[in-house]
Amino acid sequence: MTSMTPGTAEFLLAFADDEHLMGQQHTEWIGVAPFLEEDMAFASIAQDELSHAALLYAIVADNGQGSPPDDRAIDALAFDRSAADYRSAQIVEVACTGWAHALVRHWLYDTAEELRWSLVEDSGLEPLKDAAAHAAREERFHVRHADGLIDVLLQAPDSADRLADAVRDLLPLATGLFDPAPGEAEAIEAGIASAPFDTVLPEWTDRVRARFPDIDIGTISAPAFASRTQRHGDFPALLARMNRVRGLDPTAVW
Amino acid sequence: MSAMTVDATLTNAALAAVATVDDPEIPGVSIVDLGLLETITTTDDGRVTIGLIPTFSGCPALAMIASDVEAAVVGVQGVEAVTVNWLAAPVWNIERVTNKARKTMATDLTVAVRIGDGPTPCPRCGTPTVEQSEFGPSRCRAVHRCESCREVIEVMRDR
Repeated sequence: MTSMTPGTAEFLLAFADDEHLMGQQHTEWIGVAPFLEEDMAFASIAQDELSHAALLYAIVADNGQGSPPDDRAIDALAFDRSAADYRSAQIVEVACTGWAHALVRHWLYDTAEELRWSLVEDSGLEPLKDAAAHAAREERFHVRHADGLIDVLLQAPDSADRLADAVRDLLPLATGLFDPAPGEAEAIEAGIASAPFDTVLPEWTDRVRARFPDIDIGTISAPAFASRTQRHGDFPALLARMNRVRGLDPTAVW
Repeated sequence: MSAMTVDATLTNAALAAVATVDDPEIPGVSIVDLGLLETITTTDDGRVTIGLIPTFSGCPALAMIASDVEAAVVGVQGVEAVTVNWLAAPVWNIERVTNKARKTMATDLTVAVRIGDGPTPCPRCGTPTVEQSEFGPSRCRAVHRCESCREVIEVMRDR
């Protein structure tokens, strides 16, 4: 069994935090998405992302030993850390109040996530390798779903313009996903991941260009700011919403 | 040898009890017939350990299924303790669903099971169905429509 170090735990927390906050953000479209199928799609996709987060938090919580998941330990990592201790990228923290932005973020994030899981599919950390097998199968649904909608929406001038605005607004934050997580080098050294996340940045940018061929997106490069250690301005409100019901009775068993 | 006999009997009794547990979202269909049961072991002193696998990792029914299984097995004569674990591997796939479950779902619930990449036949009339939405009423089901009998069909699938 590959052992965990504080660095590798940080590396996994970055992945878990991204999955967790992306899932939370998707849930906010339930009931208010433009049509019923999207309510259900975002609910299902959110469910997957939250479960991936739980699998990753569980690995951190029990030091990679693969014991049955401890829900309270998972919740403590997911909800009870201070803002400064989160390792999420700003793309999952920013509030997307428009549907075009939410859809574009869904596509940008899931396209990156699919590549990200491929870097741990042969992980020396057995529970992570198992999680990757589940996630890889589920991620294919997500990208396919976003692609289906974007295919249709790019045909209409008004919706194509909205998507183009969303792509331009969100790309700088999305590239922050590839900002090396603290502990990444340690995780690679330990055989937990096969390569740095930013080695798939060129592949991701190729997919972005192929997806939005008519949008001039200029050069895409790694971000100039520390995406994972600086919280986005929208983060405190998100964290408060996430904890609102839980805070009513912290001892409740769900 | 007598210990072996006791063990096998207890295992069979525990297995029969697990088979009485229906999926909370698919009434009338046992979780064993859905392929969720992966391992079951018993000890001479009556401890039963059951390993289940989820259809999708985010299925919200997991806690309920585990407690239903525990409640069913704890009542079996000779059982002293029950442990139910959700296993990380293998990954569930649609081929694990038995013919019996497929028939019950088709007949009683108008739910089809999608195997392979071809079109899924309507469980009522056999006509190939058309997908309406990848995401249905639960994580493991899509929504299709039969153009022939005009029925809305739920389709269980693994990808």
